[in-house]
Amino acid sequence: MEKTITNIFSKEHTHCDEIFARTENSVVQKQWTTADAEFNDFHTAMEKHFTAEEEILFPAFEERTGQTMGPTQVMRMEHQQMRQIFAQMQTSLAQRDNEQYLGLSETLLMLMQQHNMKEEQMLYPMTDQVFGDEATSILERIRAS
Amino acid sequence: MNTANLALQQTPPLSVPVRFFITAPLFGILASLLLIYIGSDIFNSRWGLNTLALTHLFTLGFVSMVMFGAILQLLPVVAGTVIPKPVLTSTIIHFLLTVGSLSLTGGFIFGYDLRIAIVLLGLSFFGFIAIVGYCLIQVKGNIIVGMRLSLLALLITGGLGIILAIRFAYGITLPLAMILVNIHLTWGLVGWVGLLIIAIAYQVVPMFQITPQYNAKLMRWLIPTLFIILLLWTLAYLWLGSNIGWISILISLGLATFVAKTLHLQIKRLRKIPDVTLDFWRVGAVGLLLSIILWIAGTIWIKLANQPFYPLLLFILFIGGFVLMVIQGMLYKIIPFLVWLHLQNQQLNPLKTMNMVRIPHMKQIIPSKLAKRQFWVYLIALSCTILALIFPNLIYLAGIILLGSFILLEYNMLKALKLYRSVLISLQ
Repeated sequence: MEKTITNIFSKEHTHCDEIFARTENSVVQKQWTTADAEFNDFHTAMEKHFTAEEEILFPAFEERTGQTMGPTQVMRMEHQQMRQIFAQMQTSLAQRDNEQYLGLSETLLMLMQQHNMKEEQMLYPMTDQVFGDEATSILERIRAS
Repeated sequence: MNTANLALQQTPPLSVPVRFFITAPLFGILASLLLIYIGSDIFNSRWGLNTLALTHLFTLGFVSMVMFGAILQLLPVVAGTVIPKPVLTSTIIHFLLTVGSLSLTGGFIFGYDLRIAIVLLGLSFFGFIAIVGYCLIQVKGNIIVGMRLSLLALLITGGLGIILAIRFAYGITLPLAMILVNIHLTWGLVGWVGLLIIAIAYQVVPMFQITPQYNAKLMRWLIPTLFIILLLWTLAYLWLGSNIGWISILISLGLATFVAKTLHLQIKRLRKIPDVTLDFWRVGAVGLLLSIILWIAGTIWIKLANQPFYPLLLFILFIGGFVLMVIQGMLYKIIPFLVWLHLQNQQLNPLKTMNMVRIPHMKQIIPSKLAKRQFWVYLIALSCTILALIFPNLIYLAGIILLGSFILLEYNMLKALKLYRSVLISLQ
């Protein structure tokens, strides 16, 4: 697969989706210790992905296009919304409240997927287009961080 | 900086899609009442005026109503655009579609003049197609191609519908009337509704059930191929004056590919938790599969297709077993999410000071238990309707249960909106 921003970042989304689903399955079966570990993996993977976007990808895009109030701002705000749900999910997990967890995870899934859809279909292709050959150096910076 | 405005630019106001969603079950209620009123007479004629009214209450009042709302909501996510003046535009289109559907079906039942219906529905369809088509011009992608082609199919369906209605209103006998009716309903059901559901499924099945993606080649070619086959079928039908069996089998094989792939992906899904939308979609896939088998069987054995129950069973399986299933399943994801999203956006609005209230999550907005109950009532209504083909008197019971299922659907949605109101008040 070609090493574009779209491909690499979309693959991270898929990876996060997989851990997300595993965690939910464990919560349904009330396997709490497994769920704790899986949720931790999921949360870490999401934060890592958000950080790469917020600290490297989005600023680079904003600098190049001069658009600071555009799509990247909407994406940042949606990250904030997701972070709020992560915190609530963490609490419900600590309280072993599976109904609460599953209601929150259902909500997160919708929010996360429509967010991913916007990124994969609009923002990432735009970034690839704006950076052209320089996309590789940005990906390098993210890997090094 | 106003983050709320940015978010609002992306999401049209809640009232834009919701007005369509809460109107649809009301048409379902009307349709159920009409079904009870027609009773076992429905088995006597496929083309009775009451049967025509019943069909359009479902296809216009329920199916197209929800689809219009869903497309307006989906545009920002799939195309990055919002329709111009969303509230005004959706108010007008919703009004035209609602009153147009009522006057068309009323015209069939009570013999009113159909000219008002023709104008209203014509304006709502063409207005909707023009506005959404305009928003889709500059974007690419498989789902966009699917949406565009399904809009074209809606244009063809609407155009033919208007020709047929004019013929009816003015008592003109068109030489090709029966052929036009068949072309109109095929474009409506397979083109407009079918292609749109396929396009939406490409996006939502992998996302919300966490399955592998649909095969890239399939996504690229299935919808355009189906569209072209539909065109060829139409031209051949008009030219030769008779239905070309093997072309219509090709159409059904295209749909079969879609349903087989969807069921296959669902088996491989990573998200294994109980989910009412998944239940609706699975039964919907079976409904589509059964209608395809029946269609092919009827094309091969003409004798079967000539049985009086045949067209009715095909309609029940396709509309009731497939289309209404997947649409209701979709509503149970869209409504709770939109309620949550709009409340959350209000709370994050930096221009207003909001009380910090815990926003209810999706399963508090529409509890799974309520959604599940409505699913079962609908499924029983559907089964009863099919059984009524053998035991005609069951149709009354089927109608009553169907009525119950639409009342429950409306109740579930209104309950969600009531919660929205009350949380919104406590936020301010």
